Amino acid sequence: MSKTIQMGFNRVEGDLEVKATIDNGVVTDAWMIGTMYRGIERMMTGRGSLDGLVITPRVCGICSTSHLLAAARALENLSGAAVAHNGRLIRHLVLAVEKLQSDVRHVFLMFAVDLANEKYSDQPLYAEAVKRFQPFSGTSVIEVIQASRKLPEIIAILGGQWPHSSFVVPGGITSEPSESDLRQCLMLLKEFYRWYENRVLGCSVERWQQVSTPAQLDSWLEESDSHRNGDLGFLIRCCREYGLTTMGQGHGSFLAVPEHGSLGIKSAGAVSGGFISNEQNTGFAEEQVSEQLRYCHYNESVKDGHPLENGAPPRFIDDSEKYSWAKAPRYNGQPAETGPLAELMVNGDPLFQALVEEQGSSVLVRELARITRPARLLPLMEQWCGDVDMKAPFYQSAGEIVEGEGGGLVQAPRGFLGHWLQLSGGRIEHYQIISPTTWNGSPRDDQSVRGPIEEALIGTPVADPDNPVEIGHVVRSFDLCMVCSVHSVSKNGHTLSRLRLGA
Amino acid sequence: MMRIICVGNRFCRADSLGPLVYDYLAMEALPQGVELVDGGLAGLNLLSLFEGCRRIVVVDRVDGFGRPGEVLKLGWDDYAQGSYVEYGHSSALHYLLLCLPSLGIVPATEVLLVGAEDSGQPSVIAKAAEIVLEAVNE
Repeated sequence: MSKTIQMGFNRVEGDLEVKATIDNGVVTDAWMIGTMYRGIERMMTGRGSLDGLVITPRVCGICSTSHLLAAARALENLSGAAVAHNGRLIRHLVLAVEKLQSDVRHVFLMFAVDLANEKYSDQPLYAEAVKRFQPFSGTSVIEVIQASRKLPEIIAILGGQWPHSSFVVPGGITSEPSESDLRQCLMLLKEFYRWYENRVLGCSVERWQQVSTPAQLDSWLEESDSHRNGDLGFLIRCCREYGLTTMGQGHGSFLAVPEHGSLGIKSAGAVSGGFISNEQNTGFAEEQVSEQLRYCHYNESVKDGHPLENGAPPRFIDDSEKYSWAKAPRYNGQPAETGPLAELMVNGDPLFQALVEEQGSSVLVRELARITRPARLLPLMEQWCGDVDMKAPFYQSAGEIVEGEGGGLVQAPRGFLGHWLQLSGGRIEHYQIISPTTWNGSPRDDQSVRGPIEEALIGTPVADPDNPVEIGHVVRSFDLCMVCSVHSVSKNGHTLSRLRLGA
Repeated sequence: MMRIICVGNRFCRADSLGPLVYDYLAMEALPQGVELVDGGLAGLNLLSLFEGCRRIVVVDRVDGFGRPGEVLKLGWDDYAQGSYVEYGHSSALHYLLLCLPSLGIVPATEVLLVGAEDSGQPSVIAKAAEIVLEAVNE
């Protein structure tokens, strides 16, 4: 028996609908539908060359620093401006702060809620999952809200405000943090560090970093009660019990841009950047990025192409083939998953390479990559704080920026983020943004190849189409943020909890 | 210590009630020990502002509690009773309000919500500001 369900999706930012065909209890086809147009690029046209530094952080309230950094890097790429070393350190620090907060909130406030779904009420770990993950009062939920609440203060101390700060500019940063400021940041960081080790890992970061094979992961889990009962250990046990270890496998292609490595630091937290397809890492080359429009609501006369060439104006076309306001970004013509798991895959991380080899890029592996990212970032962040030279500048002049074209790339909390712009006479002629969710939540491309999430949904078992929690697991494991992908502002207009069933 | 936290988006008219009340109150003399904050869209990150006060007055647009344009003063029980919201990046204020008992803030701190289903009519703004001032003067 075949049935197509179309569900509005809650607990993602922005407006998303997922349509899936279910045959005999298994998803056989899927469509990711971005239901609103973003349009921020249209707002940029004709504005001053530096306006992206103020406007584009408003694309998103969660990763506004990532957008600010991408905007600054695009201008630096265009102008050839060098960045003061202290400026680089602070930029890395604030970007990593956004990742810490986003990662723990996503896992425990958005993803894990589904582990307390009534579908699993007959599972041995269900009662504990409800105790930890139920909204408003789950023990882990409340812990995460409390532990993550002060992280943005680090950005506010260093950049004057959060979110939507504009302190990152071509050449560095506009602020000059004092030693006292940095000490305060370090104190806030240590507070989170302690909580993360005690409650999430159940061990020190150093102990977790020793886990480099699936067998060692199993041994670590059995090593002590604190490992088993920490939120990480419980999440692993729960996902295994619920059968999420192989669910949600995608194309097996991964994309990440180089990040946190420009300071010559070799660390698990630094991302080398690259593209993996057919298990081969071909490295990263920005010119391989393109956008394809066949299935998107954009003017048909506009050609596909590189973001510097592709400024397609929106146009709703009542055509059954077109179904999303999100474009279809492709790397070397291929779809690619981006995010924390992609970072680890292009870095050649032995644990995650082995897990993907054994289980595929599953729901559990994606969430494991995300919830352990703080363990990779926190030691680096402490180092960056300590490396700031108070006698050196945080900014060096980039001169006037009026003409040319360039692109700025950032490995944002959810993965690959790119800003591209063309300037003429000090005005923006063209601006284009590709955000991580545009990659992951992409519709089909010109060759009708599914986007990463669409592909990951194929084969997903759905026990009850009226409670398709399994689809939720797969989609949420990509940590969508549709607001970056398709539209501008909506506080009250979310398509919450809608579910429409059709023949 | 009391705090008035005005929430919303001044660039989105339908959600501008909180910021407009903030602008109004910023021109008024507030009683000693009362702090006025433009909470913007900080959502869950407003949590720090809920600490260390005996009374908090949140000002935001509210839907479904009264007639359009009617300014309401709601206690925590009034707006939380039977209320449910999924966590999302921008639904977080409502989510935060519902978490307050588990966070140990309610009932120790009295948290009031002043709002209206309105896009910023001057008379509604003035009425909301009047009710907020009454609440912090009690």
